[in-house]
Amino acid sequence: MDEFNDNEISKLLRLKRYEQPPPGYFENFLHEFHRRQRDELLRQPLWRICLDRAHEFKFRFPVRSLASYPAAVAAVLVCGAIISLKIYQQPETTQVALQSPPALSTPTDAQWTLASPGATRTFRMQPLHRFDASTQTHWATTPPRYVLDSVPVSYEPTFRF
Amino acid sequence: MSRRSDSRSASCHLKWREGFLFGACGIGIIAVIFCSGESLLYAQEQSAAVISHEVKEIFERAGKAVVKIHGLDQHSPICGTGFFIDPTGTLYTAYTVGGEADNFTVEFAGQKYPARQLVADIRSGTAMLKIDAATPVLPIGKSEELEVATPVVAVGFPLDLAQTPNFGMIAGFDHKYLGRYFSTTHLRVNLPTQRGEAGAPLLNMKGEVVGILVSSLENNSSCYAVPIEAAEKIRRDFVRFGEARHGWVGINVTEAPQPVEGSRAEMAQIMDGTPAAYSGIKRGDILLSVGQKKVTQPEDVLDASFFITAGDIVPITVMRGNKKLTFEVQADLHPASKNLPVLPDGTQLPAAAAADGNHAIPLKLDSEAQRTP
Repeated sequence: MDEFNDNEISKLLRLKRYEQPPPGYFENFLHEFHRRQRDELLRQPLWRICLDRAHEFKFRFPVRSLASYPAAVAAVLVCGAIISLKIYQQPETTQVALQSPPALSTPTDAQWTLASPGATRTFRMQPLHRFDASTQTHWATTPPRYVLDSVPVSYEPTFRF
Repeated sequence: MSRRSDSRSASCHLKWREGFLFGACGIGIIAVIFCSGESLLYAQEQSAAVISHEVKEIFERAGKAVVKIHGLDQHSPICGTGFFIDPTGTLYTAYTVGGEADNFTVEFAGQKYPARQLVADIRSGTAMLKIDAATPVLPIGKSEELEVATPVVAVGFPLDLAQTPNFGMIAGFDHKYLGRYFSTTHLRVNLPTQRGEAGAPLLNMKGEVVGILVSSLENNSSCYAVPIEAAEKIRRDFVRFGEARHGWVGINVTEAPQPVEGSRAEMAQIMDGTPAAYSGIKRGDILLSVGQKKVTQPEDVLDASFFITAGDIVPITVMRGNKKLTFEVQADLHPASKNLPVLPDGTQLPAAAAADGNHAIPLKLDSEAQRTP
């Protein structure tokens, strides 16, 4: 401030009084302002723009009006699930690989190559019950009992061996 | 005006861009959900198709060796299921089907064959019948390889219906049911069963027999199966002696107050006149093993002793004080054996000799004594 005395300051002020902006400055001012603002905005990364917009969006609307959004999302998910279920419920029979019919295997344990155990040995056969012909005739008309007990017959009374 | 329209178009451009981004995100989320649901359903569909294919394959393969058995017991005709275990027509079934009936016929390959009983064993709950025909055979597996939740398949004849596959899984390995101890561990299987399926084979997913269905449980949604090793033990006895010969050594076991060497099985009684009485085993000894089977609690004695055959040498290891002792005992015939042995002169032992559970039956074996594995 010491470098300028009062006269110099008054000269500068006189000059400024007659200073004029270039023609059209005020007409273009708003347009230029918006352009610069956009340029500033577009210089930001995309995620930042999304975040800002989301923030703006969030504060612009009341929370109550947004309550329907989760319901809408849930509805979309349910629809997607139903569509996918309907599409994939149809069986794909062609995916089951065809194989040659399996052959019956024979016993491999050499210890059990029984030629004919019942035929080569004479065993003490104990018929448990004798039935007469009349009883058999009666039983021929009786419906059979299909066997499957509710308790196994195996039973051991004590731990003895 | 032009400046206003420019600003409006720029703001429209921004809104369009924003909308596009949101739309793309939404479609992406839906696509991800759709694809994950799709892949899950696809995997489920594939698994179901694989299981169905395997069960069908086992059913087709095993079904040829599974037969319907008709018989006649004291009350009425009976119907059950059985399966061939050798190519000469020998078949396994449940004791309730082939144990106490007669006049057997077997439906096989569209024909009816007369069948005869070879052996019936109430301790295992199994019976062996035979028809005179060349037959297909089911391979024998190992029930020891089963675990809880192992998938299994049964093939049987429910009621008067056609041959039917059942799919389920191993639910447990039980020593007892409703307070009754079994002679050997039974397989509890979560597999739906119907009357008529007693004697049906229980198959692993390789199509090998691992058990024989012997009973259902409460609401027919589960069942019990005898491990195939138990039936094979009876078959081995039959091949050697022509009958089932359960062995025993004459020891009662109870629970010890303190575990010794990991075992709580204490010798409570050594019965007079039995092999154990002459072996040197004493009351109070802690049982550690019978043969190769380790014993940790009294229940283990059931499985360990079931596989003893009368006449075989059984190594029994006990703990007496701080000493581990092993005794070699020749097993006698189990008193609960149904078929009494025939003496060399052709006479049959009196039933009283077997009825007295505390006395061993004198045994004359026509086969050389073997060592219990």
